[in-house]
Amino acid sequence: MAQLQTIPTRPARVAALNRRYRHRAAIQVLREALSDPELGRVAMVSSFGADSVALLHMISLIDRTTPVLFIDTQMLFPETLTYQAEVAAKLGLTDVRTIRATPAAIAAADPDGDLNQTNPDACCDLRKTVPLNRALSSFDSWITGRKRFQGATRSEMEFFEEDPAGDRIKINPLAHWTARDVADYIANNRLPRHPLVSKGYPSIGCMPCTSPVKEGEDPRAGRWRGQDKTECGIHFVNGKMQRIPPAAPAPFVPADGQPVIVRDSGFGPEDWTGPILDLASDADLDDPDLRVGDATMIRIAFPSFTDGRGFTLARRLRVAGYKGRLRATGYVIADQLPMARRSGFDEVEIDADLARRQPWPHWRDAADAAPSYLKKLGRRAS
Amino acid sequence: MYHHSEFDRAFVIDRAERFRDQVNRRISGALTEEEFRPLRLMNGVYLQLHAYMLRIAIPYGTISPDQMRRLAHIADRWDKGYGHFTTRQNIQFNWPKLVDIPDMLDSLAEVGMHAIQTSGNTIRNVTADHFSGAAADEIADPRPYAELIRQWSTDHPEFQFLPRKFKIAVSGSPNDRAVVKSHDIGLRMVRRDDQIGFEVSVGGGLGRTPLVGKVVNEFVPTTDLLPYLEAILSAYNTVGRRDNKYKARLKIAVQELGIDHIRELVEARFAETRPMFDGSDQAVLAEIAKQFAQPELVEGRSTAAYDAARDADPVFRSWADTNLHDHKNPDYAIVTVSTKKHGATPGDATSDQMRLLADIAEEYGQGDLRISHEQNVVMPHIHRADLPAIHAKLREAGLGTANIGLVSDIIACPGLDYCALATARSIPIAQQIATRFDELKLEHEIGELKIKISGCINACGHHHVGHIGILGLDRAGVENYQVTLGGDGTETMSVGERAGPGFSKDEIIPAIERLVQGYLAIREDEDETFLQAYRRLGPAPFKAALYPAEEKAA
Repeated sequence: MAQLQTIPTRPARVAALNRRYRHRAAIQVLREALSDPELGRVAMVSSFGADSVALLHMISLIDRTTPVLFIDTQMLFPETLTYQAEVAAKLGLTDVRTIRATPAAIAAADPDGDLNQTNPDACCDLRKTVPLNRALSSFDSWITGRKRFQGATRSEMEFFEEDPAGDRIKINPLAHWTARDVADYIANNRLPRHPLVSKGYPSIGCMPCTSPVKEGEDPRAGRWRGQDKTECGIHFVNGKMQRIPPAAPAPFVPADGQPVIVRDSGFGPEDWTGPILDLASDADLDDPDLRVGDATMIRIAFPSFTDGRGFTLARRLRVAGYKGRLRATGYVIADQLPMARRSGFDEVEIDADLARRQPWPHWRDAADAAPSYLKKLGRRAS
Repeated sequence: MYHHSEFDRAFVIDRAERFRDQVNRRISGALTEEEFRPLRLMNGVYLQLHAYMLRIAIPYGTISPDQMRRLAHIADRWDKGYGHFTTRQNIQFNWPKLVDIPDMLDSLAEVGMHAIQTSGNTIRNVTADHFSGAAADEIADPRPYAELIRQWSTDHPEFQFLPRKFKIAVSGSPNDRAVVKSHDIGLRMVRRDDQIGFEVSVGGGLGRTPLVGKVVNEFVPTTDLLPYLEAILSAYNTVGRRDNKYKARLKIAVQELGIDHIRELVEARFAETRPMFDGSDQAVLAEIAKQFAQPELVEGRSTAAYDAARDADPVFRSWADTNLHDHKNPDYAIVTVSTKKHGATPGDATSDQMRLLADIAEEYGQGDLRISHEQNVVMPHIHRADLPAIHAKLREAGLGTANIGLVSDIIACPGLDYCALATARSIPIAQQIATRFDELKLEHEIGELKIKISGCINACGHHHVGHIGILGLDRAGVENYQVTLGGDGTETMSVGERAGPGFSKDEIIPAIERLVQGYLAIREDEDETFLQAYRRLGPAPFKAALYPAEEKAA
């Protein structure tokens, strides 16, 4: 906790970074960004679209082991997939990670693959925004290939921006480049072009939502043509797009011996100051001396993660009408978070060692709700 | 049969993905071996003697030809070309690599199969009568209820870390072919005033403390089934012992606290669980039941071909006598295909045999296949006219053995050849008994006789309910086999009694032979089965045959 408070706020850091790098060229921004401690762990996100190869080439010159996240929406042009493999091989990129929505998420939200026709925003969310945010959770900053010239929505973009989708900084080394700059760079370095560029596609997204652009149109006019949609939800400017899930909280780093409270929103420090009713895993809820009704916080012990009695205790308390805070404490592992939540617990308390071995992303991924049979069968948890 | 819905599909895919992630976190060290263990177990992955083992559920024993072919594919692609059908309607693959298992699960998910809760301290794969929907004696098909229970128990957040494993079986017929009273919960369908419900027994189990389940409620209406089951599990999760693994099953709680105390507890919990269910489960049940509609059977087709083959071919006749059961429709028969060719490993099937079974079921059998708890494969709807052709195909593939219910139709656990818990080998004993009685050509004369073999005290081979049970133990590093007599796994369930001192691996086959010869000498007539004779005469003459006087003197 203490060390976090000494770090300047994110807007202040972003402003400082923009001042420091103001007069640099793209490649300098990129080179320094990759080793700047203020930016932490950096990944590049690339669509392997019309212009991507320029930035990818720069990355390959600086550090070809840089993680490159490629979002395969499973709706891409086949040419994009072929081009992606070709470029990665030619540039010798060693850590290209293909990011996809989970099959379960697709089966749940878009089983027939027609969501793009009924609700393109939801489709972008499902296939791009959610998987990307998940993939980015282990990074502190990410590099994009966006440029000011690409559209009205991007005309004021800086090298560094806060990423409203999480506690991350976005790096836009090509922010000031023009279409001409891109074309020159690609030609001078004899880089392969996306095959669709010569067919009238200056900006390439998913097959159902991309059409060719005519002479004189905004280069991104072919994206979501005929709709008022201009950005996919990964990127947005001036807080205008609000479809991105709420920002993840700042990572909480516990000190040795400090308990960690795991909630749906992430790890956090103990914040409860009131009285706590502690129950052992073999507590007898039918004991008349047990004044459960008076409690505002009940904490149920898990002496071992294999001792599942606490789940039944929690469910019985909820069925009996207990509305206060309910916490599982002790040895609970990440994979048990959904069981705890579905049994009526609000949160889990673990020790700092376990929190280090099983960091927040493990808990978050485990908690990603699986389809629930009980819900389908009309069985309430309380 | 039940077809996986979009929901089921999404669930198994999600689950397979979670397991892939868990394997990765085990490899990275984020999960310790101890933490990974229950997670892999609840996904059907055991660590055996030589390798990992994957146990795949065949819920209530029902499997489609496409699913069977997928099992064959898995056997060829990731295992050694065969699989092993278990005594609880699962199939096990004994040689997968841990890193391949997520791919195997993905492959299973594509055909609506999974390995969820086939192991671990969870509610296990629900089993049911393998003749469901076809047997002449059934009140109603129990499988819709079994499927409802499967859905309810799958990923139930409260019951993934129970004191111990928990097994449920459902029978839809007064003749119990699902050994319901050897389960933690046994459900026997009964009718009361035109209403269908279940007689619920609890606390049955085999293992080191074999106990027959006791009736906790004589009639639970089907509408209350899930809340009632939830009440039993809630009570068990509270009172089941956690201090001793061998005392942790529900049967011990029932034994120690008494059935009346358990009943009281369950009733109190039922008052809590009943209001939690809003009735949607009945709509789901109705939807499930539609999928178990009776197949369309052919009317008026002649069965003359069957009668002709019976008259002409003694091998066919012998097979028809042992391997067929009565179907609701007399023109049809229920075929049981023996996986117990003399000298083979009971329950093993090669990928070629699996594909053949799938083909036959598709061509002749309404695409319906079942796996029985006796480790055989059942085709429940076969027109009698097709039997000669089917028998010929089965024989060619080594699946034509005429021994269902006979001395060589042995249940045996994997034993020391595979299992880390085993204290002795089971499979070679089963093979030698089968081979010996085949040599003697006595099998059909002996008639119905169930021999069951377990390679350790945990009793996976159900030896307690064998008419003759054999339990392999380790006596100072030497395999030693104890014999139990008079067990019964049907609606008249009883636990076999130990006959006396054990036998070495060289002595056990001659001992069984003496025992069976002794029975043949004392039975009233050829209709009196081994079990009937035992019940009439008591253990003395059987013990005399097992332990001849001159050996006693020596």
